[in-house]
Amino acid sequence: MNEGIMIGIETAFSGYNIFLVMLGCFAGTIIGMLPGLGPMSAIALMIPITYGFNPASAMILMAGVYYGAIFGGSTSSILINAPGVAGTVSSSFDGYPMAKNGQAGKALAIAAYSSFAGGTIAAIFLLIAAPQLAKVSLSFQSADYFALMCVGLLSIAAFASKGQFLKAMIMTALGLALSTVGQDSLSDITRFAFGNINLMDGISFVLLVMATFAMSEAFMIIFKKSDINFKASDASKNKLGSIKLTKDEVKEMAPTIGRTSILGFLVGVLPGAGATIASFLAWGFERGIASAKDKLKFGKGSIKGLAAPETANNAACTGSFVPLLTLGIPGSGTTAVMLGALLSFGVQPGPRLYIEQPELFWAVIVSMYIGNVVLLVLNLPLIPYIARILAIPKNILVPLVLFFSVTGVYLISFNAFDIYFMAIVALISLVLRILNFPMPPLILGFILGGMLEKNLRRALLINDGSYSFIWDRPISLALFVIMIMIVSLQIYQGVKKRKLSPNI
Amino acid sequence: MNFNYTRVSALIFLLLFMMYSYFAGEIQVFSFDENADFNARTFPKLISYLGIAVSFLALVLSGNEKEEFGHYEWLKVFILFALVFSYGMFIKSIGFFISTNLFLLVSYYYLGVRNYKVLLFSSIPVVAALQFMLHGLLDVYIRDPFLQLLGVIS
Repeated sequence: MNEGIMIGIETAFSGYNIFLVMLGCFAGTIIGMLPGLGPMSAIALMIPITYGFNPASAMILMAGVYYGAIFGGSTSSILINAPGVAGTVSSSFDGYPMAKNGQAGKALAIAAYSSFAGGTIAAIFLLIAAPQLAKVSLSFQSADYFALMCVGLLSIAAFASKGQFLKAMIMTALGLALSTVGQDSLSDITRFAFGNINLMDGISFVLLVMATFAMSEAFMIIFKKSDINFKASDASKNKLGSIKLTKDEVKEMAPTIGRTSILGFLVGVLPGAGATIASFLAWGFERGIASAKDKLKFGKGSIKGLAAPETANNAACTGSFVPLLTLGIPGSGTTAVMLGALLSFGVQPGPRLYIEQPELFWAVIVSMYIGNVVLLVLNLPLIPYIARILAIPKNILVPLVLFFSVTGVYLISFNAFDIYFMAIVALISLVLRILNFPMPPLILGFILGGMLEKNLRRALLINDGSYSFIWDRPISLALFVIMIMIVSLQIYQGVKKRKLSPNI
Repeated sequence: MNFNYTRVSALIFLLLFMMYSYFAGEIQVFSFDENADFNARTFPKLISYLGIAVSFLALVLSGNEKEEFGHYEWLKVFILFALVFSYGMFIKSIGFFISTNLFLLVSYYYLGVRNYKVLLFSSIPVVAALQFMLHGLLDVYIRDPFLQLLGVIS
């Protein structure tokens, strides 16, 4: 393990990779700050740039983009009450009132210090937890992997769908169905291509991510009848005030950071949960344990109320790497996009990654420390300048996002069909999003589809075509029990909701 | 039954998964694989059962969510969609540089940008920088007849 860590440090601390972390954090901050564009769009837009990189450098860049986007989302939450990312919505509860009270600089500093502390503490947990989990998961067989992926798909549908479980499950099934387009990996039989030569290789993962996130987000900005010339220049030009914190303020937020980084990490590890749930939970938890006097400050500019979600969302981002790196199962939509990118590099994340490619495994973990330092050292002093990005009018922003999306997809195949197909998928995604169909389950279904089929095939062949592997192996059985519990919980919540509002 | 957009979409998905199920059954497999425990049809069939089940449940159990489609900018989105399509049509024939600049300029103008300095500075330098990064730094070759004619790229 120590040897692995040394290789990771060596890889992550190479000048080139440090530059990539800095670039990733910086680009992620800028993209994440733009309302509507979250970490998934940011990472999707970065994928084409990573084509010429080795997998470790690509992952380091994307991880940097991830933290950067979360930090950028906090900035727009605090300054203009327009979270760029769902995970930073709860940061606006106390951050925006602070900004309105002329303490925007202080609020941004609290966000930066909390993110740094949350990310760093969680990276230490990751350092300890990931190898242990990787060792345990070496005993996993195909049946267990199949069950684990089903749990991942179900839980992301259950917990990341804002109460729209059935719609999320439809999206999961659609994602799985799309993954079957093209040649079957075992028999080379072409499926669902309908004689179209462009579909014989299957649908490109980058195309699907770009279309469902970046491009449909750009369409969505236009689609809503909001002022297209809107720019948040007022907020960005306002004086931010001091970014210095007093000793008392640091003392006040330190215990909150300690508690919520553990909470955030644990929530992040769970499949389907992630930064959004972690930040809301942390805000609610801190409010719950606060004294009666402190409780009144929540929602009006409380330091604890800002530090808690900021710490938790960064810790959760780090936590979501645990299932990705050790099991090869993404814990969130964003890590699902990263998994897709890794697969396109020919890297199969999972327990073998820890043994076969320690430089990649450890470099990503070590780069998290670097990323957190970069966010603090580079971004904090630059906030007044970065905030000016918010002044980009939407009528400039939208064509640029469309251009980057189209270029990203075109550069993979140099095939104009992909551009047409992408535009159609983006338009369909737009309609689905208006109807509250969540997109992350679609992406997760699409990415896990191939692996799910492979593991099911192996499990069935080992069991002579019998589905008894579900209850034969204790790990599979436990995972299927978890699945039943998730579905039961959803049914219970659905029935409860109907009872409360009988008109539904 | 009270129909709304959610139910209509669930019905469309139900029909879609039924069609998917039909086509899954039509997948040609090798004769020796026809009765195998797992062949190229098995997984799509399972997905279609899942899809049919969840879309049927959504059709029956969905609440009366009201979604107004009228207050959105449909026309603007369709025009942008058409622009993206045209961009795809011209990118090979007239090259990356000109087609991308045209796409950006027309899109900005359509969305209300009238200042010619903003129009030019938000398109030409951005495209040139990206093309330089891809072509010059990352060694990604993009065919461009216009730049070849000018002798900028070989």
